Amino acid sequence: MTAVLLEVQGLRKSFGGVAALDEASFVVEEGSITALIGPNGAGKTTAFNAISGFLKPDAGTIRFAGRRIEGLRNDLVARAGLVRAFQSPRVLTRMSVMDNMLLAGKDQPGERLSLTWLAPRRVASRELEVHRRALDLLELLRLLPLAEAYAGTLSGGQRKLLELGRALMVEPRMILLDEPMAGVAPVLAEQLLEHIRRLRAERGVTFCVIEHDMDVVMSVSDRVIVMDEGRVIAEGTPDAIQRSERVIEAYLGRFAPASATPGGAP
Amino acid sequence: MHASLQELAQLVLNGVITGTILALTGVGASLVFGIHRVANFAHGEYLTFGAYVGLVLNAGLAQSLAVSAAGAVVATALLALAVHLLVLKPLRGRGLVAMSLITVGIGLMLRNAVFMIAGPQIRQYAIDQSAVYDLGLVRISPGQAVAIAITLVVAPAMALFLGRTPLGKSMRAVADNADLAAVAGINVDRVGTYVWLLAGGLAGLGGTMFAAVQGAFDPNLGFEILFLIFTTVVLGGIGSAYGALVAGLVLGLVMEVSTWSGLAGGLEAKFKPILAFVALIGLLLYRPQGLFGRARIL
Amino acid sequence: MDVLNPAFWTFVAVIAGIYAILSLGLYVQFSLAGLPNFGHVAFMAVSSYTMAILVVRYAVPMPLAAGAGLVGAVLLALVLGIPTLRLRADYLAIATVAGGEIVRYLAMNLPDVTGGPVGSIGLLGPGQIALYNGDWLAFLDRFAASLSGIVGARVSRDAASAILVWCFVGVLVLALWRSERSPWGRVLKGIREDEAAVAAVGKNVFAFKLQALTLGAILAGIAGLLLAWQIGVFSPEDYQPTLTFYAYLIVILGGMNRLLAIPVGAVAFSLLYSGTRLLNFFPLSLIDSGSRAFLRLFLVGFLLVLLMAVRPEGMLGNRKELLLEK
Repeated sequence: MTAVLLEVQGLRKSFGGVAALDEASFVVEEGSITALIGPNGAGKTTAFNAISGFLKPDAGTIRFAGRRIEGLRNDLVARAGLVRAFQSPRVLTRMSVMDNMLLAGKDQPGERLSLTWLAPRRVASRELEVHRRALDLLELLRLLPLAEAYAGTLSGGQRKLLELGRALMVEPRMILLDEPMAGVAPVLAEQLLEHIRRLRAERGVTFCVIEHDMDVVMSVSDRVIVMDEGRVIAEGTPDAIQRSERVIEAYLGRFAPASATPGGAP
Repeated sequence: MHASLQELAQLVLNGVITGTILALTGVGASLVFGIHRVANFAHGEYLTFGAYVGLVLNAGLAQSLAVSAAGAVVATALLALAVHLLVLKPLRGRGLVAMSLITVGIGLMLRNAVFMIAGPQIRQYAIDQSAVYDLGLVRISPGQAVAIAITLVVAPAMALFLGRTPLGKSMRAVADNADLAAVAGINVDRVGTYVWLLAGGLAGLGGTMFAAVQGAFDPNLGFEILFLIFTTVVLGGIGSAYGALVAGLVLGLVMEVSTWSGLAGGLEAKFKPILAFVALIGLLLYRPQGLFGRARIL
Repeated sequence: MDVLNPAFWTFVAVIAGIYAILSLGLYVQFSLAGLPNFGHVAFMAVSSYTMAILVVRYAVPMPLAAGAGLVGAVLLALVLGIPTLRLRADYLAIATVAGGEIVRYLAMNLPDVTGGPVGSIGLLGPGQIALYNGDWLAFLDRFAASLSGIVGARVSRDAASAILVWCFVGVLVLALWRSERSPWGRVLKGIREDEAAVAAVGKNVFAFKLQALTLGAILAGIAGLLLAWQIGVFSPEDYQPTLTFYAYLIVILGGMNRLLAIPVGAVAFSLLYSGTRLLNFFPLSLIDSGSRAFLRLFLVGFLLVLLMAVRPEGMLGNRKELLLEK
C-alpha cells in the first residue's frame, strides 16, 4: 500500500521575524514508518505542532487522509485519527496509569454529563469496553503491573510507553512521535522500537518519528525525510539519505552519523 | 456649535486626566503582570493606600498637595516592596491561581485595614472643592489642575525612564521575555524587586491623583477602579509598559468622549463603566494580546 | 438575637445551607476544573434580580421567574467564559472580577430597572413596597404544615426552609460525587493538570471548561434564589464581592478537592460568622460593631493568604498525590 496518508505542502511559520518553517513540503505513506531528521532548529517539532493543530501555520496546506486539516483545532485533529506524542512525555502524574488510559478512550458517552444521568447503562457498558481495551494495550506494552500506580511514579521510558498507549486508545491511523528514544534506558528503548514495529505490522498504524539517533533511524524506518532551516532538503530510503552529499553537508560539523549526539546548530 | 465644541474640549480634558491616572497605574500593573506573571488583585488597594497617606499628609499634617503626593509615592512603593518580599516572593511557584487568590487576600486585608484605621466616612483633600478655574474653553477644578501638573512632570519622566535608563530597559526586557533577558545578563530577580517599587510608587501617585480629581473618596476607591486598571493592562498588552501608557489614555478618552452630545446624544454618564466592560470582553474575544502584546500560545 | 433562641440557629442553618450550595458551585468551577472565578456572587445577584423583576413587575409565575433567573446566570457565565476560557487562567479571573463589579454597579445605578441602592423593595418605584416571595412563603407554610403533621410537633417556616435547603444540599453532594467519578469528571481532572495532553487525545478542552463554569453558575444562581426567598427583600449590599471569598474559604478550608467537606465547612463558617456577632466580651467589645465587620473581612483576607501559604505545592491534590510533587 503506497497511498499517501499525510501530505504537507508549502508550510510556513515565523516567530517574530524568524522563519521556523519555510515552504516545508513532504508526504508520509500509509503503513510506513517514516523518520523526520535534521539538525536542531530545522523545524521538525514546529512541523509536528502545525500538523497536530497545536500551532496555526502562516501558510501552506496539510492533508490527512485526503482531508484538509491545516488550522484545525488540536483535539479535532486527534479525533480525525492523527495523534501526537510530546518530546517530554505529558502524562497526567496525579492519575493512575489506568486512568490515563481510560481518559484517552474514544467516543465515551460518559463525557457528556447529561448522559451519566440519563443513560447510565450505556455509559457503564462503554466504560467496560474502554477498560478492556486499556487492559489489552497495557498488556501489549508490558505496563499492566503498573496499572494502578500513579503515572507520576513512572520512569521516563515508562512514561513514553504510557503516552504511546494513550495515543493508541484513540484508535489512530497515524502517530507522531517526537524523539521517542531520548532519555530512555536502552532496554526500554529497544522495547519501544519493537512496539512500533509490531503496531505497524499487526495494526497498520503509520508512524512519523522525529529522531536524532541515526542507528534507530536506519534500523526502523522505511523512509527518511531530512529538514534543514525550515524546509525539506532530501527524502528517500535510509541508505540513500545516508549517502547523500547534500544531507552530509547539512550536518557537517554539527553531528556525526553513527554517534547520535545532536550538535548545537545555530 | 460652540457649546458642543466646548463640551467636547472639556470631555477631552477629563478623559486625558482619567486616562493618565489609568496609564500610570497601568504601567506598573502591566510590568508586574509581565514579570511576575501575577495578576495583582490587590493593586487597587495600593491606590487606596496612596490616597489615604496623601490625606494624612495633606489634611492631617497640612502639607501641600505636591509633598503629600510625594509622600504617598514613597509610602506605597515601600508597602509594595514589603508585600513582595514578605509574602509574594516566598510563596512564588504556587501556581497562577494560588498566587491570584493570595493577592485577593492581601487586597482584602489592606482595604479593611484602611476601613478600620481611617473609618468608612467620605474624605476630601484640603483643597477648595468648590473652586473652579475658568480657562475659557474649559474649566478645571484645583484637583484636576494638580493632576495635570503631575502628569506633565511624571509622564515624560516615565517615558524617559522606560526608554533610556538601563533599569527601565531591563524592566521592559524582562516583562517581554524573562528567559531571553536572563541570557542577556540581566539580573531578573533584582529587576523583579525594583518593578514592585515602581508599581507601588505609581499606584500611590495614581491614588492621590484620583482622590484629588474626584474630590470625595472612601476606602473603596481602589477596588472600584481595579477592573479599569485591568482593562488598561489587557488593552495595552500584558507586560507592555508603553502599551499600558497608550491604552490608559485611550480608555480614559473613550470613556469620557463617549458621553459627548455630538455623538448622537452621547452615552449617559452612568454607562461609562459598562462601556469599559464591553471593551474588555471584546478585547478578550478578538485580540487578547491587546494593542502591543505578543500573541502567546498557552 | 439571643444566643439561646432556637429561631436564630434555624436561621443560621438556612444560611449555612445556602452558603453550601454557593460553595458547591464554586467547587465545580475551581476544584474540579481549576477555573479561578473571582466574581461568583454575580451569578447569585443576576438570578435573584431577574426573578424579582419578573415577579414584581410582570407578574410572571414564580417557577418560570426562577427558571429565568437561572438562565440569566448561565448567560453571564457565557459572556465571561467564552472570551476567556481559551486563554490563560488569569484572564477568566480578570473577566469575573470585572463582571462582578459591573453587575453590582448596574444594580446600584439603574434604579428604574433594579431599584437602585434601595434594592428589591423599590422595584415598583418610590412609594410602593415590592415583595416577590409571597408564593414561596405560601409554599413553605404548606410544606411546614405537612411536616408538622408527620412529626407531630409544630414546624416553623424557617425550620421547613432549613430542611428543604439541606435536602437539596444532600442531593447535590450525591450528584456531584457521582459526577466527579464519571468520565466527565475524569476529563476535568486531566484538564486541571495538563490541558495540552488532554487535547492531544481528542477532548474539546474549551467545551469542558465552559460546562464547569456554567454548572457552577447555575448552582450559584440557585443559592441566590434561595437567599432572596429567605430574606424577602434584598439590595446590592446583600451581594457584596466578599461573598465570593467566603465561598473560597469554605472550599479551601475543607481541603480543596474534598467535596464532602464543603457542607461541613459551610456550617463551621456560618457558626463562626454568626458567632462573632455575639462576642461582646473584652477585647472584642473594644471594636464597635461597625468596625467589627471590617475586622471580620480583614480576617477573611488573612485566612486566604495563610491557607494558600500553608498548603504545600500541588494545591489541587490530595495527600497521596502530594507525594508525587518533586
